[in-house]
Amino acid sequence: MPTVPQMRRVVITGMGAISPLGVGAEALWQGLREGRSAIGPLRHPDAHRLRVKVAAQVPDSFDPAANIEERTLIMLDRTSEFALHAAREAITQSGLDFSQNELGVRTAVVVGTGVGGEHTQDEQSKRLYGENSPRAHPLTIVRVMTNASASQISIAYGLRGPTFAVASACASANHAIIQAAQLIRYGMADVAVTGGTEACLTYGALRAWEAMRVLADDTCRPFSINRRGLVLGEGAGIFVLELLEHAQARGAVILAEVAGVGMTADATDIVMPNATGAAAAMSQAMADAGLSPEDVDYINAHGTGTQANDSTETRAIRLAFGTHADRLAVSSTKSMHGHALGASGALELVAVVGALRDSAVPPTANLDEVDPACDLDYVPNVGRDMPVRAALSNSFAFGGLNAVLALKRAP
Amino acid sequence: MTDTTQQQVFDIIAKQAKLDVATIKPESTLKDLGIESLEAIEVIFDIEEHFNITFPDQQGANFDTDTTQSLVDAVQKALDEKAAAGEGSK
Repeated sequence: MPTVPQMRRVVITGMGAISPLGVGAEALWQGLREGRSAIGPLRHPDAHRLRVKVAAQVPDSFDPAANIEERTLIMLDRTSEFALHAAREAITQSGLDFSQNELGVRTAVVVGTGVGGEHTQDEQSKRLYGENSPRAHPLTIVRVMTNASASQISIAYGLRGPTFAVASACASANHAIIQAAQLIRYGMADVAVTGGTEACLTYGALRAWEAMRVLADDTCRPFSINRRGLVLGEGAGIFVLELLEHAQARGAVILAEVAGVGMTADATDIVMPNATGAAAAMSQAMADAGLSPEDVDYINAHGTGTQANDSTETRAIRLAFGTHADRLAVSSTKSMHGHALGASGALELVAVVGALRDSAVPPTANLDEVDPACDLDYVPNVGRDMPVRAALSNSFAFGGLNAVLALKRAP
Repeated sequence: MTDTTQQQVFDIIAKQAKLDVATIKPESTLKDLGIESLEAIEVIFDIEEHFNITFPDQQGANFDTDTTQSLVDAVQKALDEKAAAGEGSK
């Protein structure tokens, strides 16, 4: 990261989530803190013919139509439904009124998603190829496009600043949040609505994941020697980022500070992770935040539960932190909310904000057998009350892309 | 019969690794033959398509470190199970 004058600090003043642990950021955070896993048998009309057995799915109690007008609702893929509901929660919590003082003009929207409107794509493909229908639904394009979530949030709240989607597979949310923070830092916006969303548990996508042979058939066991792969999830996490002075001037409740960011690419393999690239992203984020390794108490790990990720990420943390690695609390909340791909960094940021705010670190669930190649303190199975001064949130994507956030307690 | 299965499996591996099929030994692993990561998954896919079988998910997808003989055995097992199921439909 080039060093820029750090006079413009960025804080979080609202957060919202739709996740396998329920509707709302608090439902997600309380579930994670208590170590409750939302991984269960796959609920899907084609489950009987799929090899995928388990997933972390948003509960059926989520009502997409709640508080959304029908003319908007018909425009939305499930991906955008999640994003719009999470955005409403975050914006409500922030207390911002975008119609006042032309604030909408100074507000950006940056939303990460791995694949965008996958349910719509899958439905329309089935219709065209499977049922030989001669026509696709006329709203297919506006539902499928990867920027649909960002655009729908912009339209719903009159947000007229820089607005776009970011796609980097499993790092999409972190890359999006980083872009949003940088827009505020560089003076291009005073407020940004940002995060990640994903809803891709379709027949086609599940078959594609099966073929890659990286899915666990039991549950997600990050850092445990008996880990058998990742468990797919879905959901959205959306945040309101705000210039510190702007938040202070209106007396807003500040949840945490986005203090630094790090982004690197491995430039090695399209799927196999690389410790050097991941470590460099963590070191960048700390340097950008003005943090020494000793200042960091917690890392929310990428922690997918694959053989390759968990041992490589452990080596990366040791590379970036040296001897302080043994004093860190490191946990993978994917053991509970699953791997929501382009939304995962956003769901995990809810956990990091909770940890900073409530001085409580969520556990790594299902960690029952130590792996000698994973030798850090992963907070196994039971959460821990402890002060957290600063934390990192790691996301590493297929394609060798690394995006790390450094967060501090609210100033 | 087993020889035939072995020959077909070795042909698929040879094609993916761009090797002379004669250089493939039953004790070689895919990794020995320079087939790793996604390429190994592709070989598995090619074998499944060729024989119309589905391998069970293995712990940690360790196909690249198994020997080619164990792959041939796995194919034979899947074919035997299919035959026992009597022209299975799946």
